[in-house]
Amino acid sequence: MDRAKTTGAMSEADLAQVLSQVRAGDADAWGELYRRYAPAMFRFCRRVLPAREDAEDATTEIFMRVRQKLGTYDASRPFTAWLYKVASNHCWDTLRRRRIRQDLETGDLDTLPLEHPDPDQLERLQNEHTSKEVRAGLAKLPDRARMALVLRYYADMSYDEIADTLGVRRAFVGVLLLRARHQLREALGGSEAGLAAKATGGRKT
Amino acid sequence: MSSSDDPLARHFDEVTGLLYLEGQLDEEHTREVSAHLSVCAPCKQLLHALEKESVWLRESLQAEDEAIPARLIAPPQRGAAHWGWMIAFGLCAAGLYTVWNGFVEPSYERASQAGFSQGNVLTMLFFTGAFWKGWDQMRSVTELLAVATLGGVAIWLLRKQWRRFTAIAFVMGALVCALTLAPVVRAADVQRGAPSYTLPAGQEVKTDLIVIADRARIDGDVDGDLIVFSEYITVSGHVKGDIIGFGQELRVNGPVDGNVRVLCQTLSLNSTVGKNVMGWAGVAEMTEKATVGGTMTEIVGAAELDGKLGGDLLIFAGNLEMNGSIGGNAKIRADQLRIGPDGEIKGETKFEGRHQPVVESGAKLGSPIQVTIPKTGPDYSRVTYYWHRVLLWGASFLFGLLVLLLAPGFFVDAESAAKRIGPAIGFGVLFFIATPIAVVIACFTIVGLSVGIATLLFYAIAIYAAKVFVAAWIGEKLLGPSSGVGPAIGRLALGLAIIRALLIVPYAGFWIGFLVIAWGMGAIVLALYRRMGPQLAHAT
Repeated sequence: MDRAKTTGAMSEADLAQVLSQVRAGDADAWGELYRRYAPAMFRFCRRVLPAREDAEDATTEIFMRVRQKLGTYDASRPFTAWLYKVASNHCWDTLRRRRIRQDLETGDLDTLPLEHPDPDQLERLQNEHTSKEVRAGLAKLPDRARMALVLRYYADMSYDEIADTLGVRRAFVGVLLLRARHQLREALGGSEAGLAAKATGGRKT
Repeated sequence: MSSSDDPLARHFDEVTGLLYLEGQLDEEHTREVSAHLSVCAPCKQLLHALEKESVWLRESLQAEDEAIPARLIAPPQRGAAHWGWMIAFGLCAAGLYTVWNGFVEPSYERASQAGFSQGNVLTMLFFTGAFWKGWDQMRSVTELLAVATLGGVAIWLLRKQWRRFTAIAFVMGALVCALTLAPVVRAADVQRGAPSYTLPAGQEVKTDLIVIADRARIDGDVDGDLIVFSEYITVSGHVKGDIIGFGQELRVNGPVDGNVRVLCQTLSLNSTVGKNVMGWAGVAEMTEKATVGGTMTEIVGAAELDGKLGGDLLIFAGNLEMNGSIGGNAKIRADQLRIGPDGEIKGETKFEGRHQPVVESGAKLGSPIQVTIPKTGPDYSRVTYYWHRVLLWGASFLFGLLVLLLAPGFFVDAESAAKRIGPAIGFGVLFFIATPIAVVIACFTIVGLSVGIATLLFYAIAIYAAKVFVAAWIGEKLLGPSSGVGPAIGRLALGLAIIRALLIVPYAGFWIGFLVIAWGMGAIVLALYRRMGPQLAHAT
């Protein structure tokens, strides 16, 4: 997994030095750290929180929190993973406080369509939609589905980290991700019925 | 899973496929899926589609679509700034309150005792007019400020809940305030002329009358206040309340039991006014027939007072001719004053102006006229003059320091905006001229008073703050660019000292001052615009 892709590369030695300077209260080092990671954090917030203003506020608040909690960061773990953990906790809290989450905590395979998607249809869907449309479609998903997709495919979080952030069982993360994918396909205009396999003869599972 | 017992023949479901792809299955399951994939083309196809979907999602989500917005470019500082501002604002309000209680209010009291009961133009215009009867309890500007502070703090605290609609919330708050206060005002008869309005003689309006028309003729009586917005206003009937008029020309020919308050080009008084007259006019004329029971307060270009005034006169005029009588004291500030042979002032007369007043031989004055002819320009030979400059420098330096320490981001923004000299000065001049006009317009519409006063306060602060950013720019030009607070303070101090020194220069100093205000104000406006505007900056 390549978290550096979203956050911009910084050698480990450089990062360790910058972090120790920030802990010592060096404002320039803090500025350096911020400049390095703020764009990625902002994009993360943009994907998770649909309103741009919320994303801007959240980015600022996340960095305030990072500065406060930097002492608790365990240097043996990747810094970006920790950063995304702080960010996702903050954004998830924000969404939860809003109480606009409509998706249910419980849920299992029952709610997933039983048929396989048609691979050709799926491919067409992918070809027909730009990245921008995908992100726009993402904004239409329920909070938890959107959050799961962003944590996994933007922040490259592990299933354990996702389970921990969203407060679900680890075994449920796969279901959550798959359901989110289905919802995204639907949001992008590929109806579930249309995507259901004909070629596979509607194999029941 | 399929009902078949042969693991090779058993198709897997989509979740299993996804978990397999993402390496989340245990060893046994992984082996089973791998074995099945080697013999099942449809499942292989499904897995391929899911894998492509993963790549598609990753690419779409990780695309660097948006640069970081301008307001996020600077790293956030500890959350002290907001509290710092609130404390500074609170202290400012407290300071104003102290000044008001200790200085303004006593002087106002003294003025009232001396008969200048309507001495404060602002209070008079806004807080005692019929429009604002509900404001009577809130007469003191300080109380208003205190309420504004409280409202500001409340809005700030609720900001998170209301998200980013602070500005809208502010305006809405003002609106709600205005609307809740509105019912206090008595019901009024509102007349819109099409295009002119005439209240015929013999008719009587039993309530307040508000007229909006091109030309307004009030020949009938009004048993209440008369409020008129009209180009030409002639009042010949009897008005039992006040007249509040805004227009090009206002003629009062009928008796008025209350006050007359006007903002117009030409004011002509030909009748009896029971209480006070307050006016802001280009030309004001009080004919021999006119009588005013109370005081007269005017800011006027040219005035001719030939009637009888029972109370005091307070006037700021370009040219004043007086041939009537004044029962009380007269306080006159005018370029030229001429008291004709029939002129009479029973109380004291204080005159301040550039020319010696002319008092004709027949004029009767209760006491000799006290003349003050102010010296033009400062007295460069006195040490205190320079000491005052140093004090002024200190005050603006302290102010600049406060801005620099409490809002470093804004300080840097405004300073860099000042570097674009052309746009900064252009916008500065525009706002310098346009803001007061906008404020006047806002204040004279029912809803806009709070907004108008708030804007006026902001305008005053911006005028004072302007030199700070120009000074920072000058300092940086002379000492070179810097980073960090310490060097910025040094540059600020130097720049302010240079500006202060330049302001001392006779004649040129005035224009330099104007330039600095325009320039700095433009920088403030540009910096604010950049902060509020949704535009993107390219991330570094």
